[in-house]
Amino acid sequence: MSDYLKAVEEESVIYRGTGLVPPMAVAALALKALADAISMPPGTVHVSQEFDFMATVNINDVLTSRARVNRVQERGKLHLVNVDINVTNQENRPVLSGKTGFILPVS
Amino acid sequence: MPASFELKEGTSLPAVKKSIIQDNINLYAKASGDFNPIHIDADYARNTPLGGTVAHGMLILAYISQMMTEAFGHNWLSSGRLNVRFRAPARPGDVITISGSIRQLEKIDGYHIIDCDVLCSNQNDEPVITGNAKVKVKSNENSS
Repeated sequence: MSDYLKAVEEESVIYRGTGLVPPMAVAALALKALADAISMPPGTVHVSQEFDFMATVNINDVLTSRARVNRVQERGKLHLVNVDINVTNQENRPVLSGKTGFILPVS
Repeated sequence: MPASFELKEGTSLPAVKKSIIQDNINLYAKASGDFNPIHIDADYARNTPLGGTVAHGMLILAYISQMMTEAFGHNWLSSGRLNVRFRAPARPGDVITISGSIRQLEKIDGYHIIDCDVLCSNQNDEPVITGNAKVKVKSNENSS
């Protein structure tokens, strides 16, 4: 968490001593889980992103991230891929949902 | 709400300015687990069409979230919505300005639904990220 705050130069008092986690830190972890699960070839471009922050997240929360490819379109030498992401906490309460759009070169 | 500005259509949100530096990109790679060499390996990146390392799109998107957090506090953390397109890479040495303005204001069931245009642009005024951010705020939290 401190690495994240330092990397993005986040200085908001809302995170000082409160245990709150920036929503984009949660989002970053969700996308990492996605990248670990789906092999992205060199030349993959992240073109669009939607996020819905549904509840605050605290340090020590246990989060579960699920991703599902919901659309693949082939356009010439490129694949347009849309992935849905959902993150829940230890009480199975949704904390974040999102849609990620990628363009991948056809291998 | 933390920031003090008039809650009405057309109001500009307090802007944020960030310098893109390789050290922060490297730190973000460590924090996020995204070690794609296009972000952190200068030799690798030099031989790609991008010609050099670029910042993670999610790093720049985090700056938009910072602007919204400064403006709307906890409301952003628990009800924020982002919908953006990545237009151009941000490179080490770039200075990014993150700005926004209230496009639409709706009052529903004791809440304001605040719909904002958001923009990240570089020092050449080229758009890096464009899009929209929405947040829900209780009506008695108005600032003016």
